[in-house]
Amino acid sequence: MFIQLFIKECRQTAKSLIYWLIVLVLIFDYASQLGSTEIMPEPKKGQKEYGYKQSEDKNIIMKMTLGQLLEEYYRENYSTYPIGFYKNVTLDEKEDERIGEIIEETTGISGRAAAEKAVSDWYAGQERTGGENGGMMIMRNMEAEPAAGLTYERFEELMDEADDILGGGSSYGESCRGGNASVPMTYEDAMEEYRELTVKDHLTGGYARLFSDYMVVFLGILPVFLAVTRGLRDKRAGMQELIYTRRCSSAVIILSRYLAMLVMLVVPVLVISVLPLSHCLKYASAAGIQADAFAYVKYTFGWLLPTIMIVTSVGMVLTELTDTALAVLVQGAWWFVSVFAGVGSLSGGMYGWNLVPRHNTELNWSVYHENFTQLAANRILYAVLAVILAVFTAFIYSQRRKGRYRFTWKGIGRSKKQI
Amino acid sequence: MERYWQIEKTNLKYHIPLHFLVCVFLLGISPFLMGVENLSAADTAKVLERYVALLGIVMMVPVFLPEQDRAVQELVYAKYTKGAAVYLVRLLGNVLILAAFLGIYIFVLRSNNCEFPVVKYYFGTFAGMLFFGALGLFFYGMTDNLVIGYMASIVYYIMAVGGGNKYLKMFYPFSMSMERYGEKLWLFAGAAVLTAGGMYFRCRRK
Repeated sequence: MFIQLFIKECRQTAKSLIYWLIVLVLIFDYASQLGSTEIMPEPKKGQKEYGYKQSEDKNIIMKMTLGQLLEEYYRENYSTYPIGFYKNVTLDEKEDERIGEIIEETTGISGRAAAEKAVSDWYAGQERTGGENGGMMIMRNMEAEPAAGLTYERFEELMDEADDILGGGSSYGESCRGGNASVPMTYEDAMEEYRELTVKDHLTGGYARLFSDYMVVFLGILPVFLAVTRGLRDKRAGMQELIYTRRCSSAVIILSRYLAMLVMLVVPVLVISVLPLSHCLKYASAAGIQADAFAYVKYTFGWLLPTIMIVTSVGMVLTELTDTALAVLVQGAWWFVSVFAGVGSLSGGMYGWNLVPRHNTELNWSVYHENFTQLAANRILYAVLAVILAVFTAFIYSQRRKGRYRFTWKGIGRSKKQI
Repeated sequence: MERYWQIEKTNLKYHIPLHFLVCVFLLGISPFLMGVENLSAADTAKVLERYVALLGIVMMVPVFLPEQDRAVQELVYAKYTKGAAVYLVRLLGNVLILAAFLGIYIFVLRSNNCEFPVVKYYFGTFAGMLFFGALGLFFYGMTDNLVIGYMASIVYYIMAVGGGNKYLKMFYPFSMSMERYGEKLWLFAGAAVLTAGGMYFRCRRK
C-alpha cells in the first residue's frame, strides 16, 4: 500500500505546476551562480597576489580586535550585524561599565579618558608616519597591545562576553574575531590551499560544497511551496472527505506523501549536479587529480537533504494544522533570519544551528574539516526534527479524519472567551 | 460609494486582520533584528528596501483569497457589483494600509536620527512594496494559486539579494542603497502593469 501511494504521490507531484517552477528556479540558481565557475588553477610563483587569509597569529588577532573594541568604547557606539543588517548599539551604564572593565583587563587601559588618549595617539602616529613617508597616507585600523600576561583563552572568554553584551553579531564574537586580522597569502600558503583542494578534498569535494552552498539558499524556502500546495490541494478539489473514508492509515498517507516530495525534490538537485561534476572530473583527469565521483551525491544527502526535509515538514504540519498558506509566511521569516544571519560566516566553519549553513568557497577545507562535528550535529538535528514534524502531521491528519480536530479562526476566538 | 465602503469594511473585518497583524509583528520586531537608530542614508535604504518592502507581499498577494473557494467566487460574480470592482476596492484599501505603515515606519526612523531624504525614500520603498506585491498578485491571478503568487514574489526577492543587479537591471529593487533612484520609476510602472494583468486574468477566470 505504501509503495503504491508513494508512486501515486510522485506522479501527482510531477504533474503539478509548482514542482516544475521549483525545478526552473533551481536551474536558474545553478546557471546564474555557478554556471561559469572555473576550476581553480595551480598557483604560480611570482603572481601579483594570492588573495587573503585570516591570520592564525593569536597576537595579531588580539591586537586588531582589542583596537577595535577600544575605539568603539571611546566613541560609545558599537556596530553590529545580528542578521546581516547594520545595527548601531549604545550601551546602558552598567553594560558600558562592564565593557570598560573588559578593556582594562585586556589592554591595561582604564576609563574613557585613557581610551580617548590611546585612540588619538594611534591616529596622530599614523598621520606622522604618513607625513614622513611623503606618499599617500593609508590609515590602518586601530590596534591595541594586549596587557601583559593575558592568555588567548581569557581573551576569547572576554570577547565572547563583550559580544553577548552587544547582542551578538559584533566584531568580537567567535565568528568574526579571525576576520579582524586578515593578512595577504604567500605562494606557500596558496600552494597549501591548492593541495588541500586537490588531495584532501579530491577536487570534487570543494566544488560540491560550493554547489551545496548556493543550492541550500533556495532549498531553505522552495520546498515549503510544494508542501503547502499539496496540503491544500485535497481541500480545494473537495477530495478531503473522500480520502478520509479510505481504509489506508493516516501514517501511510502522510508519510508516503512526505517521502514522495523529498524524492521529487532531491532528484532535480542530483540531476543538476551532474553538470559541475562532469566539469570537475574532466579537469581532474587532465590534471592527474584523483577525484571523488560521489562527492556531489554525498553533499546532496548530507548537506541539502536535511534542509529539504525540515522545510517540507514545516509546510506540511502548518498546512494540516491551519488549512491555510500560513507556512509560507512562517518559513519565509525563518529563511530570512537564517540567510541574513549567515552573511557573516560565508567562508564556512561557523555552521552553528543555521538552517542554511554556508561555505561560499571551494577552498577552506581545513576549516570545514575542523568544524565537521558542528555541521553534522546541525544536519542531524534538522533531520530528526523533520521526522518528528512529519509524524505529528500524520497525527493531526488522523484526528481530522476522526472528526476530532477542525481548525477555524472563530474556534480560536471562542476558546479564548471560554478561558 | 456606500457599496464600496461596505466591501472595504468587510475586507477590514474578515480578510485583512491576520495579514495586518503579521505586518505589525514584522515591523515591531525590526529593532531587535537590525538598527533603526542613527543610520546613514545607505543603511536606512537597506532596511527599507530589503525588509520593510516585504510587507507588500503580505498585504497585496492575498487580495483574491476570499474567492479561492469556488462557491464564494460564484456568489460574488453573481452580484450586481462586478468582481473587478470588489478586487479593486480591496486592493486600494490594502495599498493605503501599506502606505500608512510605511509612513509611520519612516517617521520612526527619522525621529531616531537616521539621515535620509524622507520623500525620496518614502516613494522609493513604496515602489518596491508595490512591485513585490503586484508580482505575486499577477501570478496568483494567472494561475489561481495563492502559493504560486507568494513564490513568485519571494523568488524575485531572493534573486535580487543574490546579486540580482546583473539580471534584474531596471527592475532591481534595492537600487536606493546604491544611491540610484531611476529603477524606482520602472518598479512603479511594473507594479501597475502587473496589477492590471493579475486583475485581468482573475476576472477572466469564471
